[in-house]
Amino acid sequence: MTTMTENIAKRRKRPTRRRQAFTEAGYRTASLIGALLIWELLVWYSDVPVYFIPAPSDIGEALWRGADLYANHYFITLGRTVSAFVIAILVGITMGTLVNEIRLVNRTVYPILVSMQSMPKIALAPVVIVWFGFGSLSKIVLGAFAAFFPIYLNTMHGLKTMDSEQLALMRSLGATRWQTFWKVKLPSALPFLLAGANIGIIYATLAVIVGEFIGANSGMGFLIINQSNQLDTAGVFANILILSATGLCFHYGIHYLREKIIFWN
Amino acid sequence: MLEMRSQPAQSAPRDTTPLVEINNVAKTYETVDGADVVALEPTRLTVEEGEFVSIVGPSGCGKTTLLNLLGGLLEPSEGEILFDGRPIRGPIRDIGMVFQRPVLLPWRKVIDNVMLPVEVMKLPDAAASRQTALDLLKMVGLAGFERSYPKELSGGMQQRAAIARALVYDSRLLLMDEPFAALDAMTREEMNMELLRIWRETGKAIVFVTHNIPEAALLSDRVVVMTPRPGKIREIIEVDLARPRSLSLMGDQRFGEIVDRIRSLLGLGDGDNPQPRGERSQ
Repeated sequence: MTTMTENIAKRRKRPTRRRQAFTEAGYRTASLIGALLIWELLVWYSDVPVYFIPAPSDIGEALWRGADLYANHYFITLGRTVSAFVIAILVGITMGTLVNEIRLVNRTVYPILVSMQSMPKIALAPVVIVWFGFGSLSKIVLGAFAAFFPIYLNTMHGLKTMDSEQLALMRSLGATRWQTFWKVKLPSALPFLLAGANIGIIYATLAVIVGEFIGANSGMGFLIINQSNQLDTAGVFANILILSATGLCFHYGIHYLREKIIFWN
Repeated sequence: MLEMRSQPAQSAPRDTTPLVEINNVAKTYETVDGADVVALEPTRLTVEEGEFVSIVGPSGCGKTTLLNLLGGLLEPSEGEILFDGRPIRGPIRDIGMVFQRPVLLPWRKVIDNVMLPVEVMKLPDAAASRQTALDLLKMVGLAGFERSYPKELSGGMQQRAAIARALVYDSRLLLMDEPFAALDAMTREEMNMELLRIWRETGKAIVFVTHNIPEAALLSDRVVVMTPRPGKIREIIEVDLARPRSLSLMGDQRFGEIVDRIRSLLGLGDGDNPQPRGERSQ
């Protein structure tokens, strides 16, 4: 009897939930389309010039017209951002681990990193370009530097926030520090690590673009400055649209990884 | 105990050596402001091979401290603990621990959690150990859950897995720190019976910390009653009840006498004070 009612409940629940998700998505799409429509109409029925605020249709047209140009610069910026991010991940996790695990490193390196933490990393952009030139290297350095801190800090925080009972268990088994690190500490720190990566990728994108603003001959930041100088506001918005979409992809990519890697949470 | 672990022949001359000898062991902690807090006053206690000893006492009586000293997780401030005649200076393979919570690693399947000690200790025959782990999971009633993740198991099942993990490296002494405190009353009684069966089948010595008095009386050969802070042994009660024991023993008159005796030693009235001080509400 109970199993029967349970079965019915289950059968009923499933489609309801799916339908609910569907409705949610419907609302979201509708509100987005509505907002774009209002934007479009407002621009059409007002006297705002297109170089001041372009209508969504203008942005779409700019995107279509300059597809090749955008693709060109986009992949340059993407390459720089991903390189910066990968470097930040490698260095950030390593440093977070070393500072946390090795007392000598903690005593010597930690104070330096703390004093650098509050520094607005992007403010270094002009100097970094003087040091590393107009090419990709300066952007990668700047991006890696900006993304390093959230990743490093989260790694350290994650390795500090340990379940003391899990550590006691490992000690009772006579585990070495190395074993405790690999079997308990690192897996426990993974959620923090991915949270750091999520912020890191945003910082990396930001820093690379600012670097391209200040001194570059390629990349989305360079393109935005150029378009802005030529009052091609629709083009600027098209750029921003692409960057936003990329940011969203990064975010959901890391979210997906999180679900896959930290399945136990 | 009928089936004792087979002893190597050369240990014959040491026959009189108890498995564990706690010689005037005391533990003092230093607080943040530098004051000394005595957690355990000089204590003497021996545990024989294959014996089941419970330690009862109110919260803060040094039960867990004593257990952690035995497990080599803490160092005594005074005295020493001998295991099989040799002083304990850190965790050793011959001692297994079960904590109050199951402490399973959530990213490992049940079987991999049970295999953790094998990996950490780098035991030689991993394949044989894996078979042992599977057999143990069967013994604790987790057959079919080998590939499940801890979160898919109930609290009682998780604690069973933790017991299997403590048994997998075949230690001679099992230390259990209120292993069933977090379980509901029914699961707890069921686990008590399971533990007695496992103890009978494996022949290990068990030191079992609890603040559940009937539980201590039901399981143990001897019950060590401790006094509150600073902790020391008040008295050791021999539980002269026949084995194998079952839950129905709890209605037995002799059982009631033993429980009452422990209660009065702990300074608890009978009847008017059903909730011993420090008892975790379920």
